[in-house]
Amino acid sequence: MYLTNMNLGQYIPTGSFIHRLDPRTKLFSFILIISAIFPSKTVVGVIIWAAALAGIVAASKIPWRAVLQSAKPVMFLVIFTFLFNFGAWYFRTSNVYAALYESLFMSSRLMILMMFAVMLPLTTSPLELADGLNELLRPLERFRFPANECAIMIAMALRFIPLLMQETDKIIRAQLSRGARLDQGNIFRRAKAFFPVLIPLIIIIFRRADDIAVAMEARGYDGGKGRTRRRPLIWRWRDTLAVAGTAAGVALFLALGL
Amino acid sequence: MLTEKSRSSTPFIEVRSVSFSYDTKNTGRALNRVSFFVDRGERVAILGHNGSGKSTLSKIMGGIVDPSEGSVLINGTDIRAMDFRELRKTVGLVFQNPENQIVAAMVEDDAAFAPENQGLPPDEIQRRVDMALAAADMVHKKGASVSALSGGEKQRLALAGILAADVECLILDEPTAMLDPTGRMNVEKVLRSLHAEGMTVIQITHQLEAENFSDIQRVIVLSKGGIIWQGDTASFWDNAESLGFTIPDSLKVRRYCDAQGLTFPEGLASLRLEAGVPAYHKASGREKFRVDGLGFRYEGKTYALRDIHAEIYAGEWLSVIGRTGSGKSTLVQHLNALYKIQEGAIYFDGSPLPQKGEEVHSLRQKTGLVFQNPEDQLFSATVREELAFAPKNAGFRGEELEAAIIYGLECAGLSRDFLTRRPIALSGGERRLVAIASVLSAKPEVIVLDEPLAGLDASYQRRILEMLARLRDGGRTVITVTHDLNMALHYSDRILVLRNSRMVQEGRPHEVIAEIMKTLEPEAWPEILRISAEVRRVNPKFPLIYDYEEFAKCISQT
Repeated sequence: MYLTNMNLGQYIPTGSFIHRLDPRTKLFSFILIISAIFPSKTVVGVIIWAAALAGIVAASKIPWRAVLQSAKPVMFLVIFTFLFNFGAWYFRTSNVYAALYESLFMSSRLMILMMFAVMLPLTTSPLELADGLNELLRPLERFRFPANECAIMIAMALRFIPLLMQETDKIIRAQLSRGARLDQGNIFRRAKAFFPVLIPLIIIIFRRADDIAVAMEARGYDGGKGRTRRRPLIWRWRDTLAVAGTAAGVALFLALGL
Repeated sequence: MLTEKSRSSTPFIEVRSVSFSYDTKNTGRALNRVSFFVDRGERVAILGHNGSGKSTLSKIMGGIVDPSEGSVLINGTDIRAMDFRELRKTVGLVFQNPENQIVAAMVEDDAAFAPENQGLPPDEIQRRVDMALAAADMVHKKGASVSALSGGEKQRLALAGILAADVECLILDEPTAMLDPTGRMNVEKVLRSLHAEGMTVIQITHQLEAENFSDIQRVIVLSKGGIIWQGDTASFWDNAESLGFTIPDSLKVRRYCDAQGLTFPEGLASLRLEAGVPAYHKASGREKFRVDGLGFRYEGKTYALRDIHAEIYAGEWLSVIGRTGSGKSTLVQHLNALYKIQEGAIYFDGSPLPQKGEEVHSLRQKTGLVFQNPEDQLFSATVREELAFAPKNAGFRGEELEAAIIYGLECAGLSRDFLTRRPIALSGGERRLVAIASVLSAKPEVIVLDEPLAGLDASYQRRILEMLARLRDGGRTVITVTHDLNMALHYSDRILVLRNSRMVQEGRPHEVIAEIMKTLEPEAWPEILRISAEVRRVNPKFPLIYDYEEFAKCISQT
């Protein structure tokens, strides 16, 4: 495979406690956690969040391999952060150790953040996630924000990402077979060489989007007005507990200035 | 031709003088004054070749697209006047590509989508989901995730997704065109049982198969946007050939037996005959590829290919056959180094197959590979540019390049005026030809094609088969990867059979036929082979025949 990672961020049903939480709980908690990780300035802070992540992954019964694999596409961002910070610190202080320490800190913080983000779609099916988002965005409808459309759009994107990866892999193979040089020359030449991959991909995305829109209409979808759910979102005690627990943890974390 | 029955009551569905054109000027109509009725509980086939306007018709009948002129009435009401929800509860549409119809990640969630849109309470939604999954024979996959389903299962899920809306009528646009033989058979089985229970089923297709469509009552033939024939199924078969459709072998055999006053298959029990060995194209006998113990695993997991030994000769047409997932595509993609060799070796013209660097590029020029879906490779603004891509990459310039473009075009049997056309605006069949031409233009010595006939109507299939035979006769090596046993047995010179990632046999069609029958499910066999297997049960000496002419020769000697 030219694109090895076919299952990125795809829902893996294991029926764990984390899976059964209300999607709103997971979204809330995720927002809380981000707001704690971003201002975090200490190594202890990073270690605490790494431990929290490890706890959640263990509780979700999702194999680490899948989590790491799903985070792979954003690894370049992590590597870039590392290199950039290393360069910047080394330039400023000429101290290799300080630069190494700082860049490792920044990149590992980003990586933990990304892995938290990946846990959302891994433990929540796309439609559930859409329902949760829809509920959270509903207050914005008063300001004519298309909450429903926005939520279903995200759900569809999540559903079709792996298919598009497969499609991209096929296109790359087809063009390599015709002698395309996708891996040679400088960055501009390479970018140009990717047109034969990019254009079919864009056409396929549009065709697919069109097909899906028609198929959804055929099943009576018209913007989600009056839609009900097979499994309605029910806020349970465990959700209150989970959100309260996360909020308390985050508050303590912030108060301690970690 | 049957005249339209006089009707005392309003018909269930009436298509009344429907026309459609893609531009507002109403020129070049995709549909031109199409009118017909469908009764409640009927199963009707709308037949047409690629580009006959049949897909547009399905969307118009389903109320997805409005006709330019005319109207569609259900129970006497124009569907444009119907409430959206009411309409969606009446007609259900199923399309060709199962992947593009599934919205959820889990089977049950997907089946629930339509009743959820209808605003039903949760227990009613669940009841509908259970009902729909049962009707589509998908109950055993209830808790599964969509990505774990086969193509046929996905299409049955798409069907369940529509049935859950509790529709009164199904309109299906080529629902089995993208499926393998097993998937096709299972979807057809579900459609037959739905019809038996009273569902109105309108199926749009490019070829009628006698066995799968045994319960079709009426056939409507569409050509160039107009109805050219309609009538009951029996009289369709009487006219099929003049309408440009092939007659299934099973029907020919039945007709022959009827004419001879024979009962089938008992009447053939006393035959004692040997099938002759068909004449074969003589290949050069020079090895083009030698595959020596090839093994391959994806990311260190189970073997996709294991211990493959094969010879492919220059100037022959080899078919690689096997079930979905047997390793066919992985094997042929090794031949132009799209997969790197993990175990074993491959020799090309006697020397080891290059694995990296500039040599790989020259290998890819010599071994062209055409993938099934032309959309995966067409990217240029004109056919000329598309055809220039491969030869340019191979270093052709100036007059040489121009000659290469023309060569590709002529190989594919396309006229010069195609050069200025836009690949994206071509019909499905034309796109496939251009995709093949765009590989041939680099003048490869070997051409590998993955399912070159899939989804094409009979006339395009014939064009591609003739093209491949011409290339082979001109000394090129042709390799086809296929489920299509008719092509493999009748057109290719030799067949390589893969089963569970291993090669089980390589040889002339008549030599490998028994192994093919063990490898592929009966629904994938040519009809005549199934028939001869049936005769064999009453007459063990009857040969295994996969060609109707042979079969006819055999039985006419009674």
